[in-house]
Amino acid sequence: MQFLKKNDYGKYFVNRFGIPEEIIEQYTFWVRGKRVWAFSGEFIDVKDIEVLGIKALSLGRTPKPSTAFLRVIGKYAKKNVVNLDKEKALKFLKGEDIEGNFDVEQGYVIVKSNNDILGCGLYKGSLINQIPKKYRYEDTWL
Amino acid sequence: MDKQKLEYFKQYSEIIPNFDAFMESLEKEQPYWMRVNTLKIGEEELIERLENKGFKLEKYKNLNAYKIVVMPVKHPGATVEHSLGYYYIQDLSSMAPVLALNPQRGEKILDMAAAPGSKTTMIAELMREGTIVANDVNFNRLKSLGGNLERLGITNVIITKKDAKSGNFGIKFDKILLDAPCSGEGTIRKNPWGFRFVEDREHKMLARNQKIMLKNASKHLKNGGIIVYSTCTFNPWENESVVEYGIENLGLKPIHFDLPIPHLKGVEEWRGERYENSEYYKRIYPHLEDTGGMFIAVLKKE
Repeated sequence: MQFLKKNDYGKYFVNRFGIPEEIIEQYTFWVRGKRVWAFSGEFIDVKDIEVLGIKALSLGRTPKPSTAFLRVIGKYAKKNVVNLDKEKALKFLKGEDIEGNFDVEQGYVIVKSNNDILGCGLYKGSLINQIPKKYRYEDTWL
Repeated sequence: MDKQKLEYFKQYSEIIPNFDAFMESLEKEQPYWMRVNTLKIGEEELIERLENKGFKLEKYKNLNAYKIVVMPVKHPGATVEHSLGYYYIQDLSSMAPVLALNPQRGEKILDMAAAPGSKTTMIAELMREGTIVANDVNFNRLKSLGGNLERLGITNVIITKKDAKSGNFGIKFDKILLDAPCSGEGTIRKNPWGFRFVEDREHKMLARNQKIMLKNASKHLKNGGIIVYSTCTFNPWENESVVEYGIENLGLKPIHFDLPIPHLKGVEEWRGERYENSEYYKRIYPHLEDTGGMFIAVLKKE
């Protein structure tokens, strides 16, 4: 399946998180199936590309941003950002949901703790964890 | 390490200087090394965070390379900071081919046998902007390459799954890294349980494939561009012999390069084969800086 260039998907990050346009313009956005990939290099028409940049969005009823891409651009976000204290950040990294009201719109949010961008959360009155299992904190870690 | 494994390396007693020290080094546990992902965090900030957690790290010269002297966890990657993509565990010797490649902003670089991505991610970190095509033929290894790129937040890489011997990459590149699949003798300290005895016949078969890969790399290189050929093995058939094939048959020229990691020059002769350009090549041995082993050559297309 081919990657199709659709830079309009970059607007999602501008509108939802207030990422400056000049940051988003550093990337081209490519659709393959139900996924959108963000790529900051110069496109080379190598046949049979497996991966182009990193996954930025999954497409469904509403687009879902990837934790990996939010960790790249999240530091530029101006809205829909939840800042957790250290204790809650650790819970979130373990895969737990976080109870509480946060000053963000309903929907997907960027979750951070100080300067660490932890990843994607879904705010629906409480913060529903969206961290992929591969990034989850394990008890043997520091 | 068991004596049989050590015995295997005696075949290199005449080509590895200070051979006793070399053999002693193989019996010592290899320390971990790491590199800060400066695309995500500053060196000083990360080192302070890890040291506050009980790590003891030694910066190597002025390189973004740290020897892990003390670690309070079983594996050096068992931290939040590693999961956030702030650092990469990579042996100092494995950084050498990328230092020889000397990636520059805006270049197009092909990493022909890239997985799991230690060198690809280091190229991206050094060049900041530009394009990397990272290729590997093995699907499972490609998954780990993709995972590492994602964790480190590297967005300028195109991943392909082609046979490095025959794959067509569409364009000519400014630089190519051919870190060729090899017998892996230089990783014995890091992975002693994975070490296997390699017979002459297999070294020669690997060398044959490495020559075909070098030929394909040469086809995809711009005039004036460079290929860095590297392996993590000691056997000259997989190293000097392959590079000399490129010089004699593919119009490639060896060039001198600086390397701020202790090394020795290439081997001059092995089992009746003479290598005319050995002074251009660099060999990193475990006893020089407490690392793994590596062979590196830089070839220019004119």
